[in-house]
Amino acid sequence: MCEANVYINRDGREELLMEGVDRIIPGEDQNIFLENVFGERRLVKARIKEMELVRHRIILEEIKEAAVKPHLELWLEPDTNHGHFHPGEDVRMKLFKGFNMRPDETAQMEGTEAFVLSNGRLQTLNLHKHHEAVEMNLGQELDGLAQIYVHQKEDRELYATALIEVGHHHHHGNQPLGLPLEIVPIDYSHARLGETYGIQVLKDGHPLAGAEVKATFSETQSRDYPHHLKTDEEGKTRLFLTARGNYLFSVTDGDTTSTFTLIKSF
Amino acid sequence: MCKNMPPLELAIQFHGHICPGLLMGVRAAEFAQKYLEVNPDQDEELLAIVETNSCGVDAIQAVLGCTFGKGNLIFKDYGKNVYTVASREKNRAVRIAQKYLAQPHPDNARYRELSCKDSLTEPEAVEKENLLASIFERLMTIPFEELFNWQEIEFAFPEKAQIYPTVQCSICGEGVMEPRAVLNGQLYICPTCA
Repeated sequence: MCEANVYINRDGREELLMEGVDRIIPGEDQNIFLENVFGERRLVKARIKEMELVRHRIILEEIKEAAVKPHLELWLEPDTNHGHFHPGEDVRMKLFKGFNMRPDETAQMEGTEAFVLSNGRLQTLNLHKHHEAVEMNLGQELDGLAQIYVHQKEDRELYATALIEVGHHHHHGNQPLGLPLEIVPIDYSHARLGETYGIQVLKDGHPLAGAEVKATFSETQSRDYPHHLKTDEEGKTRLFLTARGNYLFSVTDGDTTSTFTLIKSF
Repeated sequence: MCKNMPPLELAIQFHGHICPGLLMGVRAAEFAQKYLEVNPDQDEELLAIVETNSCGVDAIQAVLGCTFGKGNLIFKDYGKNVYTVASREKNRAVRIAQKYLAQPHPDNARYRELSCKDSLTEPEAVEKENLLASIFERLMTIPFEELFNWQEIEFAFPEKAQIYPTVQCSICGEGVMEPRAVLNGQLYICPTCA
């Protein structure tokens, strides 16, 4: 017998986490991947405390999520619940600062600039603080696809981008904005639940290989990002969409964090 | 809604949440639609006979438009995940039966275990969410033949659902569909009062 039972120490209590484990892979962000002989898989935020190889016991020490202090990031969300806007209606967006689509109400938003690029025209957007979000009204003139991006320079450089659709258009071949760090859709069309969605990470306009891209969705129960992806040599990665609502992709390189909000359409 | 929702979204909206049973129903419904080369039902062009009253039936209703209220969803209480979908226009029917798995996938077993709990701790809620994501991707991408057996069958189409007059119950005064009422002399009595 080569497999082991994995136990986790939570608040001083030891409990069985998984039986018959034959693969343990420590990953990034203090995650440990476990797989057992029955095909079960788990990802836990923990460190290995002890390995009793003769007794086939592995003991993990849980790492409290709150103990891992994340960098705050900016992200955009549309003020609509069906993924696109109609021509002639007010196009409103909200800007948040926080982590994992959970706003931090104490976060500083000073010095934030927002822009919209539509039909080749770049416009500055006015921002209005409203409760935990900053709101922006893009007016009623937009039609087709518009790219929004937000920038804030504090001790870190933060970018947030989103593509919004006004009317029922199908677009492909969307152009990057040219930000220092940017997440762009590989092939923008209507992103739907139950389909795979691809993104590409660009650094100064060039594909960033081997970057960790985190992905989350608005209704997640997890305090941390539920998905951790890795870009390939073309800076690309993909995610199968299994949750309703919008998704957020986030990438960090050095002191720069850039997010991309995938607004799901139906 | 302002344009056609994808079948998956329709089913989730109708059912209220995402669960493995609903996803299986979506696979069966989409397969039936493609196999019979039909559009979702408008006015009883399609008929579905379902042999279960579990989650998958809501996908049959939402995706195919065979609904309880319209009368083109016939429920047989056999406790089997079997769906027969028939097209009047094509004069064809397909019977789709979920395969029996003696040993369910461990993710499904654990998901069921967590779903049966009255309340979940935060780590359990996260685990359940992760399990559902994993099950979701597997169920929606696995080849159909690994999930279901199917065969085209001879099908005797019943009459379209009838619309009956409403009569008044002589005891409670409420309206009742005439064939459901008991006639006591000249007076109707509804099943509740009978």
